[in-house]
Amino acid sequence: MPITQINHPLPPGFQLDEYRIERQISLGGFSIVYLAQDAEGTLVAIKEYLPNTLALRSEGHILPEIQEEHLSAFNHGLKCFFEEGRSLARLNHPNVVRVLNFFRANATVYMVMQYERGRTLREHVMKHRGNISERFLRVVFSRLLNGLREVHAQRFLHLDIKPSNIYLRMDGTPVLLDFGAARQALENDSPSLRPTYTPGFAAPEQYEAQDQLGPWTDIYAVGATMYACLAHASPQAANLRLKDDTLELASQRWRGKYSGQLLETIDWCMQLDYLERPMSVFALQKSLAETPESEPRDSWLTTLNRRLRERVRR
Amino acid sequence: MKFTIYQESRIGTRQINQDRVAYCYSRDALLLVIADGMGGHAHGEMAAQIATNHITTLFQREARPHLPDPMFFLSVAIEGAHSEICAESERQGLPENPRTTCVVCVVQNGVAYWAHVGDSRLYLVRDGKILSQTRDHSLVQTLVDSGSLTMEQARRHPSRNRIFSCLGGQQEPQIDFSRKTPLVDGDILILCTDGVWGPLEDDLCPQIAYTNVLNSVPRLLNEAEQRAGKSSDNLSIIAINWEEDEEGELICYSDMPTMPMDVYTMPPQGGQQNANASLSDNEIEEAIEEIRNSIKQNLPIRN
Repeated sequence: MPITQINHPLPPGFQLDEYRIERQISLGGFSIVYLAQDAEGTLVAIKEYLPNTLALRSEGHILPEIQEEHLSAFNHGLKCFFEEGRSLARLNHPNVVRVLNFFRANATVYMVMQYERGRTLREHVMKHRGNISERFLRVVFSRLLNGLREVHAQRFLHLDIKPSNIYLRMDGTPVLLDFGAARQALENDSPSLRPTYTPGFAAPEQYEAQDQLGPWTDIYAVGATMYACLAHASPQAANLRLKDDTLELASQRWRGKYSGQLLETIDWCMQLDYLERPMSVFALQKSLAETPESEPRDSWLTTLNRRLRERVRR
Repeated sequence: MKFTIYQESRIGTRQINQDRVAYCYSRDALLLVIADGMGGHAHGEMAAQIATNHITTLFQREARPHLPDPMFFLSVAIEGAHSEICAESERQGLPENPRTTCVVCVVQNGVAYWAHVGDSRLYLVRDGKILSQTRDHSLVQTLVDSGSLTMEQARRHPSRNRIFSCLGGQQEPQIDFSRKTPLVDGDILILCTDGVWGPLEDDLCPQIAYTNVLNSVPRLLNEAEQRAGKSSDNLSIIAINWEEDEEGELICYSDMPTMPMDVYTMPPQGGQQNANASLSDNEIEEAIEEIRNSIKQNLPIRN
C-alpha cells in the first residue's frame, strides 16, 4: 500500500546537529530516513521519528506540529523508538545495521545509522530473475540468520523482514535493516499507531493474534523472503491464506530445480500454525546448514545453455 | 483486593528462551503461570508455550468471573496441558515428546491455591520470611528429604537439574497441590524458574521481602544473571505484592514498558491495557543518554 507523503522532509543542505542532510532516502509511516554527511564527510543514514498521523510538518517548516490530543500517542511511539534504539545500540553484529548516534532535535528524536553501500535483496532478485542459486540462498540466509539470532537474543523481534529490508553489501554479505515495525498498537487512542506489516511477509499472528508473536513470527517472514527470491514476487498474504490458501508449496513449485530439503525448509517456515514452524532461528539455521543428499545438478546441456544466454545478455 | 505485579523473562546466556510466563485475571480471580521448557529435550519451548497457552485459555473460559473450584481447575488445567503436549507431539510426529515444568497459582477471594510439576518454584513471603514454598520434583530434593544429602551438597550435585516429574513425559505427571492459603496484606508471591532461584539460593527471599516488586524484581534478576555469569540459564519470574483492601474487583498495578518477546501475556480479560504514555523531558533525556552510552560501549574506536 503506497503511503501518501504528508510530512515534508528536512530540506537538502539542512544542518542537523553535526550532520548535513543530503536527501530523503525512504519514508515509512513512522519515520523518514535521510542520507546525510557527518562532520568528516562520512555518509550516514539518519532516521527521524515522525509518525505520519500524529505529527505534521508542513512545507517550509522544521518543527512538526503535534496536536494536544495526539500527544499521548506520539509519546507512546517515542517510547517505541527508544526501545528500537536501545535494542540496536546493544547489538554489535556484522549482519545487523549499526547505530552510530542518537539525539534529540526539532521536537523529535533521530537515530544515526551506518550507511551501507550495495543493494537490497529485492533489487538483487529482480536483477537476477530466475538465476538465484541454492548456494546463494543458503549462504545469504545463514548469515542473515546469525544477525537475526542476535536480535532475538536481545529479546527483540524484527517483525518486518522482507527482501527490501535486507541489504547486500558490495561483498555480498547481508545486513538486516529497519527495525521500525516492532511497535505495539495503542488501542484506545485514536488516531493510533498501528503495527505495520507487509502483506506476503507478515505471519498470520501479526494480523490476528498480537499476543502470540515470537521468534517464529520472524521465521515466517524469512521463509516468505526465501520464497519471494524464487518467485520474484511476494507470496500470498497470510490473512488471505487463512481464508483460502492458494499458495503453492515451494517443494512443488520448484521441484527438481532446488533440493527438496531446501524447499521443504521454506515450506516449514511458512506454516500458518506457528507451532509447526521452526521454533527458533537456531533450528532453522541447522536446517539451512544441511547439505542435501542429492543436489539436483544441471546437465551439461542446460549449463551450456545458461552460459550462452548470459553471454548474449552482456 | 489490590495487587502489584511484575513479570519478566530473560534469555540469560542461552540461545533460546525456553521459559514462558503468563498472567491473566478476571474481576475476581488472578492466574499466574510459569513453564520452563526442558533443554536436552527437543522443542522445550514448544512444550512451555503449549502449557501456558492451554492453562491461560482454560482460565479465560472458566473464570467468569470466578472459578467454581480453583483446586479442581488447577488439576484439570495441568493434566490438560500434559495431554495437549503429547497430542501435539504425536500430530507432528516428533521422535520424542517436548517437555516442560510448570507452576500455576490462582488467587481468588483473597485465597491462594497453587500446584506445580518439576523444579519451577513458588514462594510465599510474609513478614520477611518464607511462609511456604514448593518442593522440587528433583532427584536432589528427594535425597535431601531422606537425609542422604545436605542442602549444600545438593547445590553442587552434578544431577541437580534432573527432575522426575514434568509435562510431556512418558509417565503421567506427578502434580503437587498446595493447601488453600489465605493471603494477608503485604504478602509477596513469587513464581520463578531455576535460572532465578538457582544462583540466588537463600538470598532470594531477603532481597524481595518488604519491597515493591516493580523495583526489587529487576534488581533480583540482574543479581541472578551476574552470579550465574557466562552460564546463565533462562530466567523467568512473576511476583506480586498483595494488598488487602476493601472487597471488590481485582485492581492490578503493573509497569511493563515493553513486552519482552518471549513473554506470553494474555491481555487481562475485560480489563484495559493502560498504556501510560506520558513522558517527561527528563525521561526523554535519560532514554537518550542510555542509548548513547550503549552505542559508545559497542562502537569500535574511531581514528
